[in-house]
Amino acid sequence: MSDEAQLLPPEAESAAEPVTAAPALEQTPAEESPSETSVEDALLRSHMLAHETADATVLSQSRKHTRRSFVVAGVGVAGSYGFYKYLHRSGNEQEMLPPLLRKSYEFNASVARNVLDTHALAPTYPLSRAENLRVNGRCGLNKELVMDSYRMQLVGMANDERHPRYVNDVTAWEYKYKADESSGGTGHDSKTDPSTSSTAKTAPQEAIEDAQKDENRTGRRPRGMEEAGESASTLEPNTPGLLLTIPDITSKLKRYELVTQFKCIEGWSQIVHWAGYRMADFLEQYPPKTIDGKEPKYVYAETPDGDFYNGYDMYIMRHPQTLLVTEMMGAPLTQYHGAPLRLHLPTRYGYKQIKRIGLICYTNDKPDDYWTRLGYDWFGGL
Amino acid sequence: MNFLCYLDRGCVVRIWTQHPACVKLMTDMAVQLPLSDTKTSPAKDVEQPRASIRLAYKHPLAIRWMHWVNFPVLFIMIWSGLLIYWNDSDNAHQYAHQVYRVGIGRFTLFRFFPPWFYDKLHVPNHVTQGLSYHFLFFWVFAINGLLYVAFTAFSGEWRFLLPQRQSLKDAIQVILVDLHVCKELPAQTKYNGAQRIAYTSVLVMGAGMLLTGLAIYKPTQAHWLTTLCGGYELARWLHFWITISFLGFFLLHVGQVVLAGWNNFRSMVSGYEIQRAEAPSLEKERESWR
Repeated sequence: MSDEAQLLPPEAESAAEPVTAAPALEQTPAEESPSETSVEDALLRSHMLAHETADATVLSQSRKHTRRSFVVAGVGVAGSYGFYKYLHRSGNEQEMLPPLLRKSYEFNASVARNVLDTHALAPTYPLSRAENLRVNGRCGLNKELVMDSYRMQLVGMANDERHPRYVNDVTAWEYKYKADESSGGTGHDSKTDPSTSSTAKTAPQEAIEDAQKDENRTGRRPRGMEEAGESASTLEPNTPGLLLTIPDITSKLKRYELVTQFKCIEGWSQIVHWAGYRMADFLEQYPPKTIDGKEPKYVYAETPDGDFYNGYDMYIMRHPQTLLVTEMMGAPLTQYHGAPLRLHLPTRYGYKQIKRIGLICYTNDKPDDYWTRLGYDWFGGL
Repeated sequence: MNFLCYLDRGCVVRIWTQHPACVKLMTDMAVQLPLSDTKTSPAKDVEQPRASIRLAYKHPLAIRWMHWVNFPVLFIMIWSGLLIYWNDSDNAHQYAHQVYRVGIGRFTLFRFFPPWFYDKLHVPNHVTQGLSYHFLFFWVFAINGLLYVAFTAFSGEWRFLLPQRQSLKDAIQVILVDLHVCKELPAQTKYNGAQRIAYTSVLVMGAGMLLTGLAIYKPTQAHWLTTLCGGYELARWLHFWITISFLGFFLLHVGQVVLAGWNNFRSMVSGYEIQRAEAPSLEKERESWR
């Protein structure tokens, strides 16, 4: 700063004030003297003008920023709309879900398999909290099974051809049914509105017609007659394997009881008392045939009529809480709860817990799954 | 601005800093005025030395992006959650649980939501859509939220956000002003006390959403979390009611934004708010953290 001019500190300014005010000793302030007014007016006006110009500059800068950022925002909105369209673009008709959403399910499943603890146990509860599980759909159970005609078809077991129960074609086994409708009542089915006759959903008309043609040709009841249609993993005719009776399955295995929470993807849950046999023990007794030197990755299960089917990861079948259930709430399973044998996995949603198991197949091809065909997650892990 | 300047022999001159003649005089005398602090002030604030207003850099770019990403994502999460929730009401003949019921003892005031609500919105039978969107977009919601927390923590912006000792008192005063009970707003920096409390709560709610959500999503693999939430059913209850709180926040927030006006709204898009020149500078406060 130059020494030639000094900016006065406030005290100096107030001290200097009387100097300018001195000529007018009356109370009139210096600014109001006529000679000064015109000068100061001009100064003031130019001062105001400068302020206005500066403010206008600020506003124009603001407008520049606003324009720029709203253009970016517009691009962002357009981009997300495009993404929405892309996401919504209907995928494979069979799969029902757009591919990206299906992929995100698979990604989440791989996180659950590889990051989270796959050995974690589901909480168990005191027996006093257990209650009768509600029947929530009768898919694959529409007719009452004649228990004498029950066999479990087992496909893919190691050295099964040496087993006494080995047959050349497990699909040839004929299950017998008592009647079209259950003689034992609907088993407190809460899915069907009592005021309406039925809310049952069936397979697409086309599929039913095709199935009817097949039935006329072969003389056998068509498979996959429910909403999702026939499974892509259903067995080809002439598939060899075992036909096991209930004693074959259960007589050598240790019985377990479990009080766990059954969770439905619909949002409800119930604590249920189960009794049965560990699937892991079953896998010891009927070990899978290795494929290319390795254990197959999946297990596929079907109801006897082929209307309902589930696919599982092999590892979850070895989970200690995965049970082949024969009893529920201290009594043998009823038909609508899946007699004579159903699966319970507290590590999976209810839609992966097949009732009335007609087939168990060890496979390396990711099995089809009833509810996956209708748009649900294949994994279904809890 | 004007000031008095005394020259040789006791001659006093009033200098108008904007007057061309004075400017020339000052330039001739090489007077440097302490007017323009553009050198010391951070680059992000846009200041014009003589303006009565200035552009204050209010919301950093990262916060604006995260804020707006959250808008559609939260919408998707709540909407898909509704599609999932409807599914539970499918069993119209038997309420399997009481999670969404509002009532005392045997008296039920109402259940979320009445049937006409679902029918009008065409909600029924889209649960698979709800599930798949929910389980894709929760990633976006989670990552966005974590990035926000990280950004706020590392940039120092948390100092504007977290409630302070006097925030509750300030918040009450802000509410009283909003209700036209009293007139004077408490002093504030970026956010007032009510905003600090509201925005921090919504952050806690977001964390609550993720935790209860995970407790519901993986009640076996994350059973410790489910237990911490008081079990599966309680986790579902919490998840639902935090959603309702989110909706409450949303209504309040949008209402307040409408009342606050365009200048405030625009700052969440462009980052800049037009401020009076003498208002305390956020950028200077940011500088002081560094």
